[in-house]
Parts: sequence; C-alpha cells; structure tokens
Amino acid sequence: MSETSYSVLGIFDTPDALMQAIPQVRAAQLGTVEAYTPYPIHGIDEALGLRRSPLGGMVLVMGILGAITALGAQYWISAIDYPIVTGGKAPSSWEAFIPIMFEVTVLFATFTAGLGMLFLLNKLPFFGHPVLSSKSITGITRDRYALALEADNEAFDSAAAARVLKEAGAVEVEVLPAPDRSPFLTSDYILRTLGGIFAACVVSGLAMFFATKWFPLLAPMKYMQDQPRLNPQKASAFFKDGHGMQQPVAGTVARGHLPTATGTQEAAAVLVNPLPRTKDVFNLGRKAYMIRCEVCHGAIGNGVGSLTAAYGGKPANLQAQQFRDYPDGKIYWVIVNGKNAMPAHAADLTETQRWAVVHYVRALQRAQNAKDEDLKVVAP
Amino acid sequence: MQSDAAIPAGDIPVGLIEPSLTMGKVTPGSLDDQVLAFPEIRPPKQWYIALAITLSAMFIGLGCIGYTFVTGIGAWGNSSPVFWAFDIINFVFWVGIGHAGTLISAILFLFRKRWRNAIARFAEAMTIFAVICAVIFPLIHVGRPWLAFWLFPYPNQRALWTNFRSPLLWDVFAVNTYFAVSAMFWYLGLIPDIASMRDRTTSKLRKPIYTILALGWRGAATHWQHYEKAYLLLAGLATGLVLSVHSVVSFDFATSVVPGWHMTIFPPYFVAGAIFAGFAMVVMVLVVVRETMQLKNLITMRHLDVMNKVILAMSCIMGYSYMMEGFTAWYSMNEFLHHGFMNIITGTYGWAGWVTISCNILIPQLLWFKKARTSYFWMIFVAIGVTIGMWFERFVIIVVSLHQDYLPSAWRIYKPTMVDFGILLGTFGIFFTLVLIFARVLPVIATTEVKGILPDAQPGAGAKGHFAAGETGTARPMEGPSAPSHHGDNHV
Repeated sequence: MSETSYSVLGIFDTPDALMQAIPQVRAAQLGTVEAYTPYPIHGIDEALGLRRSPLGGMVLVMGILGAITALGAQYWISAIDYPIVTGGKAPSSWEAFIPIMFEVTVLFATFTAGLGMLFLLNKLPFFGHPVLSSKSITGITRDRYALALEADNEAFDSAAAARVLKEAGAVEVEVLPAPDRSPFLTSDYILRTLGGIFAACVVSGLAMFFATKWFPLLAPMKYMQDQPRLNPQKASAFFKDGHGMQQPVAGTVARGHLPTATGTQEAAAVLVNPLPRTKDVFNLGRKAYMIRCEVCHGAIGNGVGSLTAAYGGKPANLQAQQFRDYPDGKIYWVIVNGKNAMPAHAADLTETQRWAVVHYVRALQRAQNAKDEDLKVVAP
Repeated sequence: MQSDAAIPAGDIPVGLIEPSLTMGKVTPGSLDDQVLAFPEIRPPKQWYIALAITLSAMFIGLGCIGYTFVTGIGAWGNSSPVFWAFDIINFVFWVGIGHAGTLISAILFLFRKRWRNAIARFAEAMTIFAVICAVIFPLIHVGRPWLAFWLFPYPNQRALWTNFRSPLLWDVFAVNTYFAVSAMFWYLGLIPDIASMRDRTTSKLRKPIYTILALGWRGAATHWQHYEKAYLLLAGLATGLVLSVHSVVSFDFATSVVPGWHMTIFPPYFVAGAIFAGFAMVVMVLVVVRETMQLKNLITMRHLDVMNKVILAMSCIMGYSYMMEGFTAWYSMNEFLHHGFMNIITGTYGWAGWVTISCNILIPQLLWFKKARTSYFWMIFVAIGVTIGMWFERFVIIVVSLHQDYLPSAWRIYKPTMVDFGILLGTFGIFFTLVLIFARVLPVIATTEVKGILPDAQPGAGAKGHFAAGETGTARPMEGPSAPSHHGDNHV
C-alpha cells in the first residue's frame, strides 16, 4: 500500500446529500466506509451499518462494581476494622452506607462512560489521523459533511474510490495518506506517559513520606507529637525546678486517691491488704509497678533501675531481708508517704493500685527466694 | 421566525408547533463565526473593568481567608451555640446555585427540551464555578485546612477511619462526586467545540493548546455513536446527582435533633430551593451575556421566558414547603418545634424570616405575567430578589434554629463579623472572575449541540425521505438534538 492511497474523502454540502450517498458508496465495496460530520446525524449509524455501542453494558458493570466496592469498603471499615457505635446502631447496620454507595456508583459509572468512550472505544487521544491534517478538516468541524472510503486491504484503489464518491455526489474529493502512528501521536504513548507521570507522583509521594518520617527535622507539618508538652521522667524548662513531673498542689486529692496519709509507719504495720490474690490484681500491680517503681527499684525489685546509674541514687533493694520482713502495711505506708529520697506516690496511684503493688512486691520477693514447694504451685 | 425544522408542519395543529429557538438566519457556519470568534478577538474595555471589579472582590475574600488562618476561626462571629454560621450558609448557598446547570444539562436533556442546548454550556460552567466557591467554606471551617485530606477514608498511621454513619462524610462524597461528574460532563461537551476552534484558529499559541484539549477529535461517525451514548448515560447519571447532592446536604441538618432541622421535608425542599436559586443566577448572567456578547439571535426571549417559568414553579414549591414547615410545627404539638417556627417570623431574626418569605414567595409571583417574564427589568428584579431570599433562607434555617434550641440557658444572639462578609464577597468575586474568563476563553454556547437542532441540520427535514426505506423511520421528528439513534433494527 503506497503512502498516498490510504483513504479518499468525499465532501458533501448537506446532510441529505451525505445520507443519499452512503448506500451507493457502500455498495461499491471498495473499502471501509466512514463519515466525518460536525455534529451527530440521525440515522447514520444504521446507514453505515454500525454495531450498537457497548458502552451501556460497560457502564452497568462498572456501576455495579462501584456499589459493591462502596458497600464492601464501608462494611469492612465500620463493622470489622474500626467498629464504632453511632446513634445506638449495630456496627453492621448497612442502611447508613446507602448515600455513599450511590455516590461511588455514580462516580465509577461516570468515569467509565467518559473515559471509556474516549480512550477505550474511540482510541483517543490520537493526533496522527490523516483527516486531522487534511484540507477538509476545517469544513468537517464546521459545516461540511465528509464520506470516507478507507483501505481495508493492500489492493485499495484510490482512483476507483474517488470515482465512486464523485458519482455519489461529492462536491470535492481528497486523497489522504496512511495514519501517522509514530508513538508521540497515539493514545497508547500518551496513556503511557500519563501513567509514567502518575507513577512518578506515587514514587515521589512515598519518598516524601519516608523522608519526613525518618528525618523528623524535615517534617513539613507539625502534628500532635511535635507540640510542646510535659513528658514523664524528662526535663522541662517550664517549671522552676526543671522537672517535667510535678507533685500536685498541696491539698489536692483526686477521686480514688484517699487516704493520703496513714499516720506513722509503725502505726501502719497493722493494716491488712484488702485485695484478694487474684491474677487480675497481680496484673494491675505489675502494670503500676512497671510505670511508677521500676525506674528506681528495678524490674525484679533489687534496687537496680534504669535511673540508678544516671542519678547515683541508692534506691532500696526490696529483696533485702529487712524489707522481706516488713508487714504489708509498712510497704503500703511508704508508697503513700514516700521515704528518704523516694517521693510520695499518693497522687499517682489509687488506693486499689497501691495495695495491688504491695501484692506484686510480695510476689517479686517470693520469686527471687523461691523454695522447692513453690515450684509445685507453678508446675500445674 | 421560521417554523422548526425537525417538526414536519402540516401534521400538527399550528398552536402546538414549537416556536423556533433561534432568530434570523443561523447556519452552522455562521454559528461558528459568531460564537467561536470570541476567544480570538480582544475583549472590550468593559470586560476589563468588570474583571478588575471581580478580582478586587476576590482578593478581599482571599485576604479575609488569610486573616482567618493567621488569627483562627475566632475572627468569625461563630460562637456557642451557633457553631455553624456564615460558612455553612454560604456552602449550602453556592452548592445550590450549581444545581441549575446540572438540571439544564441532564434532566432537560432526558426530557428532550431542545431549548436547553443554547444555554447548557454556560449553565454547566456556572455549576463548576459554584461548586468551587462552595467547597472553600467547609475547607476553611475545619480550622486546619491543610489537614482536610483527613476527610477521606485512607489507610493511615493513626489507624483511624472516617465515620460512615456521619452525614458530614456523606457530604464529602456527594460534593466531590458532583464536582467530578459536572467537570466530566462539561469537558465531554466541550471536546467537539474545541476541535472546531482548533481547526479555525490561526494563532500559533492557541493551536497547540486546542489540539491537545480536543484529543484529536475528528468527528467520525463511529466516534459520534459512542459519544452520544456516553452523553446520554452521563445525563442519566447526573440526573440522579441533581436530586441526591442537595438531599445529602439537607441530611446534615435533617439527621440531627435540632428543632427546625429534624424534618422529613428537608431533602425535597432543599433540592427545589437549589434549582430555584440556580435558575435565578443563570437568568441574571445570561441577560448580561446576551446583551454584551451580541447573542440575542441564539439566546432568545423564549429561553428567558421558559427559565422564568421554571423559577415561578420552584417558587410555588418553596411556598408549599414553608407552609408545610408551619403545619408540621403546629400539628406535631411539640413546643420546641412550635417555638422554633415562631422564631422565624417573630423572633430576634424575624426580619430575616420575612425577607426570605417575601423574596422567595411573593416577588416571584410577578412572573405569572408574560410582561414580567419578557422584561429585563422585572426578571432581573426577581432574580436578584430570589438570590437574596435564598441566601436568607439558609440563614434562617441555620442561625435561627441554632441560636435557641432546647436549653434556654445556652441561648445566644449571633452576630457576623466583617471577616464573614469579606469571605462571602470574595466567593462572589471568585465566581464572577471565573465566569468572565470562561466567557472569553471557551465557547459560551455549545455550538455542536445547537448545530444539530438548526433547520435542515438533520436529513429528511421537510423533504420526502429519499434514502433507503429502512432508514426513514429512524429520523423521528420529536427526537432531541443528540438523541441516541439506535433502535435495535441494525442491518449489518
């Protein structure tokens, strides 16, 4: 097929003339018949023998997919991954998902209709079609009607095609070269370029995300973790003594923190731990011990905590015989009132937590000095 | 005026023949020369003056928004218990303005109302600009707009998800979908027109821009076939949107328990109000466009007359809704609801209630007279009245309901600040700046669609069908401009 004989355009002045010519040109069977018009002409699909557009089915399928996607995503998020009760409704009540299901259905369907029509069915954008660079294009997008005979095999005879179009009433005839399928002009290339730009956006977005995550100095926005605040066990310039942690104003008692003082330590010796020795109580005690006691007294209560080395203090070794002999009440008294360098913890621990810590300290002491019969308790 | 081409005269009684939609002789060529020439000629001096005014308004608004960012939301009048005030009023107002465009482009397309073709493009553009103005308000109302992406459900390191039971989240989806669909609809309609501009321009600058924007559109019959189908489908989808978007906006109010908000009439009432306000804005802008751009032969008095009739019909629906609100308050025997309704007409803001009722219900009644429907003075008078009235309607719904609810100890009077007014003025500036730029850059009339309904535009018009017998039946006279032309009887 030579370069100059890809298709022949015949120009008509009225839609009537165009429609009249179509059966005649089709009957010649010289190639594919295509029409180029400034606006859609009624009945031209049937005259040209075009098949129904499959767009309706595509849109239906994608619309249903949109509805399912929206329902599935909302259900998974609201009922499974992050259930929150709103207005007393069960997390799985689906009625509230309907508005968004509708919107997502419309969104999927719209993009399928618009982009599917342009990109998939019409193969646009394509800038290399010969009609676009023909002399006739200014008329085609204005007020002229063109009928084209396009080559469907090697033996296309442009002279015969021009003759048929002339006989059918074309006022002008133009012979066009083959489409320029150089990559820059085709939709494939353009879509690939757009895809590349999109991929570059994703990659640079991820790069930004990790860069700001690993190098916090670069953080473009101040999130909540960056706001000025007091951290436990950290220095702070906010208070005169330079400590972030402060004792509450004298005389303040939080709910559940009574009593705040229990006389002398000797008098407290008679107090009895009111809590039962249950797993829950030991867990509560362990948690409170880890938060409040462990930094000084150490994880096993031997007086070697993480702060000991830093401050050079000498916290009590709770495993010492002296403290193993203490009655529960005296340990409780120290937690409430503090002793020597140890501050009072009445404001930090509730009454229940203090007694739970006492139980836990007893458990630590027993674990470090375990006897053979203790193993029998643990074994089963 | 000539008789319409698509209707064979003789079969139809004279009184029922649709009057022509154009004046004088309009051919596809003359249409292009008239409409597509605007981007190629220098705008007149008045255009620059108008642009200077709208740009100043826009910068006042942007300044006020910047001031809000620096000082915080306290710059506005919002305070307990009126936490929603100008921001939400203006949001609902602007989203409503957009509805006329979608109604004209989608619902009237499905109804085959051919008069829509000449005004659809402008109305659709106004939809997009109005939605742009609308989304500004929720964005700045969230306080930290740079975190507004938190509104979308995406997996994040906070392990948090959005609450899908909140109508505010429905709103996020509704407004974004609305914007995306309107933009898609508008662009699809523009493609053939941009192709026309591409092929007529001689400018070295515009040619490549139009070439890219037209995506290589060449008017092939195979392309038109899919294009028409897509347009029809989009019209159907957008029709659902017209009804849904403002319904979802009304859910923001109706699903709460505030007296005066918790009503089932809200969704239809909001949709009717939106179309009402939108048409008023379209009439105002079209009168100006028609006069200043010499488009009297394409946008005729008949177009304005029909749109004024729509405004009148919507006004009657609004009147019915207001009465139903009063009836509901009375019939419910709920003293909170009763108090809320009486507040609208007798309370501190009673004047706002009466502005709403007179501007929305009383003034549009002028349009019962044909004289008023075809007179610039009266239609602009009504349109401005409706715009003011619909803004105050949202003021009444939001501020009057919120400032006195169940707990008298929490009642307080709301006063807007100058910053509030500045931002409202700014959105009008943004809207009209975009309208002015659009009018000079893109075809203001959908030339392709108008070409399709011109006399002699379709084969077989007025003549005996002279192509093959099988085809004559398909050129149905009453069919719309871009109606799909497949009826199943394909003979391949």
